[in-house]
Amino acid sequence: MPPFLNKVFCGQGYLYFFILGGRLRVGFSHRPGLDRGFWEARGAISFGLLSPQVNLGVAQFLLDKVSSRGPGQLSPYGLKCKLEEWGRHFGLSFSFKPAAPALPSPLEEELKFVRNVLSGRLLFLEEVDRALRENGLRVKSGLPDILQYLYLQGECELWPAVGFDRQGLPFCRRCGGREKLVRTGCGACNSRFCYVCEGCLELGEARSCRALYARAGARKNFRRNVTPRLSFPLHPAQREAYERAAEFVAKGQKPRCLVWAVCGAGKTEVAYGAIAAALAQGREILYTSPRREVVKEIYPRLKEAFPGVEIAVLHGETSLKFPPAELTVATVHQVLRFYQRFDLVVLDEVDAFPLTGDPRLYFALERCRRPCGQVLYLTATPTPELRAGVRRGTLPVIYLPARYHGYPLPEPELIVIRNLGVKVGGRLPLPLQRFLELSLVADRAQVMVFVPTVELVQDTVDWLRGFFGDEDRVRGCYAASAQREEVLASFRRGDFPVLVTTTVMERGVTLRRLNVLVLFADHRYVFDENTLIQLAGRAGRALEYPRARVLFVAGKISPEMAEALETIRRFNRMAWEKGFLKAYK
Amino acid sequence: MGRCSFCGRWSYRGILCPRCTSALEAWKREFPICSLCGRLMGRGVSQQLCPQCQEEKPPFRLARAVGPYRGMLKDVILDFKYKGRRSLSQPLGYLLAQVVAAEPLFGKPQVIIPVPLARQRLKERAFNQAELLAREVGRLLGLKVAEGVLLKERDTVPQAGLGRKERWINLKDTFALKRASIIEGQDVLLVDDVLTTGATVTACTIVLLQAGARSVSVATLATGIL
Repeated sequence: MPPFLNKVFCGQGYLYFFILGGRLRVGFSHRPGLDRGFWEARGAISFGLLSPQVNLGVAQFLLDKVSSRGPGQLSPYGLKCKLEEWGRHFGLSFSFKPAAPALPSPLEEELKFVRNVLSGRLLFLEEVDRALRENGLRVKSGLPDILQYLYLQGECELWPAVGFDRQGLPFCRRCGGREKLVRTGCGACNSRFCYVCEGCLELGEARSCRALYARAGARKNFRRNVTPRLSFPLHPAQREAYERAAEFVAKGQKPRCLVWAVCGAGKTEVAYGAIAAALAQGREILYTSPRREVVKEIYPRLKEAFPGVEIAVLHGETSLKFPPAELTVATVHQVLRFYQRFDLVVLDEVDAFPLTGDPRLYFALERCRRPCGQVLYLTATPTPELRAGVRRGTLPVIYLPARYHGYPLPEPELIVIRNLGVKVGGRLPLPLQRFLELSLVADRAQVMVFVPTVELVQDTVDWLRGFFGDEDRVRGCYAASAQREEVLASFRRGDFPVLVTTTVMERGVTLRRLNVLVLFADHRYVFDENTLIQLAGRAGRALEYPRARVLFVAGKISPEMAEALETIRRFNRMAWEKGFLKAYK
Repeated sequence: MGRCSFCGRWSYRGILCPRCTSALEAWKREFPICSLCGRLMGRGVSQQLCPQCQEEKPPFRLARAVGPYRGMLKDVILDFKYKGRRSLSQPLGYLLAQVVAAEPLFGKPQVIIPVPLARQRLKERAFNQAELLAREVGRLLGLKVAEGVLLKERDTVPQAGLGRKERWINLKDTFALKRASIIEGQDVLLVDDVLTTGATVTACTIVLLQAGARSVSVATLATGIL
């Protein structure tokens, strides 16, 4: 079996009409007999079909048109004429067709199974099937029939994966994307008007002829008072933020809140306060991050902190995609499969790739929470939008200005060197020589050297090797390098003292004794303020060596460099004023 | 200026960035090609025909491909075919049209025929990759594309993973023609995504020649290495 090939249900069917309460109504079904049975049990008469078959996307567009004009006053012939007028764009011409006999409804028990697995989800038919199997449930009736019946009963939503808006423009109902839609002749529904969204292909193909089923999450009453088990006592700064986060959830008045913490402050522990408060109110929680590594790392920590709470983890590598849980830990991509389920969404590293600049992920985050749900953002470097919210006073903020060890953040030293000479292999400038000597000899620390581009990594490695006169002391790695993991593991073990890398290592690296050197720090496209703060934040994280050195080297001092320094100083000042800091020994 | 269709990097000209273009063309320096089936022979081979073509000449006139089925081209084809990234049909069709236009031995084909998919497979995949490529090549070269003429009448086990003999058995009596008059006396260009052993295109060619096509030449995105 070739990879990625899976059988999919094609949402194709007939438009139908009937008269109920003296008014004409219209609908769409892949099995009109089922709908006929449902409506006739409610007193409908004159059930008729319109041929030919159309795909779900086109049917939804036509039904929206009909319902916006009010079909009640039309006769069946008038309806046919109107549909032909609106469907001309799609090359449709309708004719009446005898209706199929009424079919009985599916079994109530099977409806219940599907209702349960679909609760709080947004799934394709194949995913509903998988969710049933994962939970050990089986249905004898056809799954499309069961879902159609739930839709008729108003218990779930049914959308084409790529639908049309009121202007007739296509958009992806799963990711909200409008740009990466491709129209080709579809072999499944034989329509020329079947759009495919290439923006969310990795989660399965979203097409106009594929149905998406969505059902808002049912409220569960599992209130429980949980005190998180922490492996260390909270620092006063953490304690204050922890209590304020818990208060934000307990009061439940504001929809959003930002925890603005310095790098290495222990912001995850702050989120524990909010999670415990949400569990006490019987709410469902999502802990999500754009980065898979964060999800993998946080899951065991949450399990340890909240024993007895049902926790599920979802990312690209997990085999179970539909486990039951009170607390779900997932990457942001997995959130695309949730629908109005969570009361509290904790969004860790909100500014990390790929969430930044990807509106579909924000779309998914908005959709996965209940209408009155809350969002807690955790970050050291908020996006400009979040900062603007804080400035305007529309977004409440909880500051965590001190690290857990209570020492100030290392402030970067800004140095101007006009021509670094990395490319030509020139002599290492004296400030850099001094920095490397002090780091390696006096501080006995390792050094991470950040450069803005992949091409500069090897040039810088050669340049520094020339200074040391030793090949083994300097190594380089970047996102696509084959030996990335091996080099990083070796650096972590302390096998060599100097690592040259790109911003790919700006997060998730914690070493006991580490100094940071940023070359070409005035590179405006790569080194913005947030990136520079994150890079500086790699240093001085451990209690053993809090007074690390950070050096930004550039041809000129860019506004971003100055702002990064100012933000770090502001946090140190804030922490000092609040009495969270202690002096260096 | 636009984005490279393969890697997404910004590129100043063309549909591919210079890096992807050079990666695509690297094979030309490495491998000699069989002048009949277009498959790549091992390094240092000086003969014109591959052992398979020396043993028995294929029924098609010639076959050519954009490159070998490996590396970047393989990844892109997998993305296109199995992940369903249909937008790749444009740059890939462009590359294929370039191959046809650059090879004088193709002559002037009058009609393009895509290798068909079985009905069930088409329902599952929702598109026929060869058909999308054929449409693009037809648009760029101004040739007529005859869709729905060559049909695959029964579903077969996917060819990927089968040996040469098994592929032949798998494809026996699979293809049929509808509206044969379209290809009668015409030079046909058969388009497919990958040519590995040549079993599929050979089976298609036999059907087309039996129905009266004057000649059949084959253009594929990727070809096998012997």
